[in-house]
Amino acid sequence: MKYLLLLNNDVRDIESWQKLSDDGKKALRTNEIPKWNELFGWIAEQGLEVEGLELADPADARVIRIRDGEAIVSDGPFAETKELLGGYFLAECKDLDQAIELAERVPVAAKGSVEIRPLAGQ
Amino acid sequence: MKVLALIYTDPRSWETASEAEREDVGARYRAFGDRAGECIFGGAALASPRSATTVRVRDGETFVTDGPFAETKEELGGFYLFECSGLDEAGELVAAIPGAERGAIELRAAYEEAAA
Repeated sequence: MKYLLLLNNDVRDIESWQKLSDDGKKALRTNEIPKWNELFGWIAEQGLEVEGLELADPADARVIRIRDGEAIVSDGPFAETKELLGGYFLAECKDLDQAIELAERVPVAAKGSVEIRPLAGQ
Repeated sequence: MKVLALIYTDPRSWETASEAEREDVGARYRAFGDRAGECIFGGAALASPRSATTVRVRDGETFVTDGPFAETKEELGGFYLFECSGLDEAGELVAAIPGAERGAIELRAAYEEAAA
């Protein structure tokens, strides 16, 4: 089964990230690397096939709607929510339980949330 | 540059669509795939948001809840990952996606490490 894991960050963490200097951002990322390496180690141990993507600041998001043939473009993410998408993993797992085991090891789950969505047609 | 296009639509509009309407939407997505194929790096259609599971870990304990993390009228139904020049080009591409007429497409650039 293929699952999409949506990695959602707490908006408060995003806001404090935005206030950091470039050096501050770099230092915070460096601090987080061991946690992510632990996850990647677990993924390799399990032999899971996982691909992923980290997204840029949600403040740079753009939303497009076509109404009556005309494009309506707005700035910012689609929904004003307490958590915002920061990246995703696309993973081939045995079942939902294994997808949950993966989700709970993603560092983002400890502060925000990881939403698991099965792909259609399987 | 990699750009993620998140397709948000009202799941009920798909559930209540007739067979002909579904075929039409499917054909338009396939046509989009053919036309924009060079820029399409990945993508997937998602099963109903009712099949979502949300996982949170607090103080080392895992909490699992059914359903998507946010209850919105329009829900994430699928995505494309584009390799293109930027958000402007991605915006032109997604105008042809049926979901843009029924719902909304959110464009998010991939994170890029700042040049040292």
